[in-house]
Amino acid sequence: MVLKLYGFTTSICTLRVAVVLKEKNVSFEFIPVDILKSAHKAPEFTAYQPFGQVPYIDDDGLILYESRAICRYIAAKYASQGTPLLPSDPTAIALFEQAASIEASNYDPFVSGLAWELKFTKLFGGKTDEARVKSLQGQLSAKLDAYDVILGKQKYLAGNDITLADLFHLPYGAVILDIGLDKFSSRPNVARWWKDISSRASWKTVKGGIHQGNAIHYRVLQSAL
Amino acid sequence: MVKLYGFSGSTCTRLVALICKEKNIPYELTSVNLSKGEQKAASHTAIQPFGQVPYIDDDGFILYESRAIARYLSKKYPNQGTSLIPSDPKAEALFEQAASIETFNFSVIVGPIVGEKVFKPRRGLQPDEERVSELLASLQSKMDAYEVILSKQKYLAGDSVTIADLCHLPYGTAFYGLGGSFAEVFDSRPSLSRWWKDISSRPAWLAVKDGA
Repeated sequence: MVLKLYGFTTSICTLRVAVVLKEKNVSFEFIPVDILKSAHKAPEFTAYQPFGQVPYIDDDGLILYESRAICRYIAAKYASQGTPLLPSDPTAIALFEQAASIEASNYDPFVSGLAWELKFTKLFGGKTDEARVKSLQGQLSAKLDAYDVILGKQKYLAGNDITLADLFHLPYGAVILDIGLDKFSSRPNVARWWKDISSRASWKTVKGGIHQGNAIHYRVLQSAL
Repeated sequence: MVKLYGFSGSTCTRLVALICKEKNIPYELTSVNLSKGEQKAASHTAIQPFGQVPYIDDDGFILYESRAIARYLSKKYPNQGTSLIPSDPKAEALFEQAASIETFNFSVIVGPIVGEKVFKPRRGLQPDEERVSELLASLQSKMDAYEVILSKQKYLAGDSVTIADLCHLPYGTAFYGLGGSFAEVFDSRPSLSRWWKDISSRPAWLAVKDGA
């Protein structure tokens, strides 16, 4: 049975999973969840995802949520097809985990905070906290200086091969650029790396949102959801 | 002998020490004094470019990011001490889900609360109480979800303890130690409370909780 991805067409975390599905040539059925109408907080949804967040997958009965966990599962299950995204030798695996943790702790908190303050809060009726924006910008700059050092020595965050850790950066990176905060161009190695990962066909296919043309089967759920 | 470069009281350093204790891995701590800013020295940032602790030197192999170190050590010694990462694909997927829950639905909120209420006062700064209130409010719905999960299974990834559970301990202990409405977040939820008591009373944690 084809893998089902429950998510929101342009949601950061839904796109994170979609880019990996594309990179691994895995067919999927997209079931849209309208988060603007709080469908993700409805009992029919939280029965599967208790935090009321998108996305989750149903892979032949296996329910899995947390986008990075879903990505790891897909990359491991389909290791032999599409682009290799997880290394297999112990040292390379450890350096991949280091890179994945860097993304989670030294990138995501700052870019997600900025994306919230400068773009998403308004969609949910909030307003921008300018002091927080200033603080987050400063912190992100310092983090990307460290990225520039790392990427001056190797092509990707975990070494010279692309891994999931690099792809995880794409959705928020695109939003940050979209809201006019270009932290990448001024850092030559980061700029090179960003250009590389953001011009991959898998990202270009999904970055505008998941829709009929880029999922195997787009099905509007005609139910209470 | 694993060389652990970190600060005895640091949350992330103690996480690595905890894993070493669980896995019976001998380690030697070399102090990087955070209160003197030693983590920002050039000799440190040459190895850890973010200027953070800890990092390890395992027979010449350098690794940083405490969760990465935890995974590396657990996989290197699968049959020694407590088993902390499953290898079966489905169990592994549920472990990754739990590990992600810890990072993005717990630590992202509890970390800043501990930063405001514990670390700032140590540096002579005032906590931002408004921010703490907002963070605490957002934590409640997360802990409701934890309660649902933990009412069905013993630990966050299933019925065996994993790194995902243990990663809650350093920040969680500092948070719980604030008492009052903070401790109440755990105490008021029976399954969460049961789980918290279980993991926080593990001998390996008790051995390092006051210093790596």
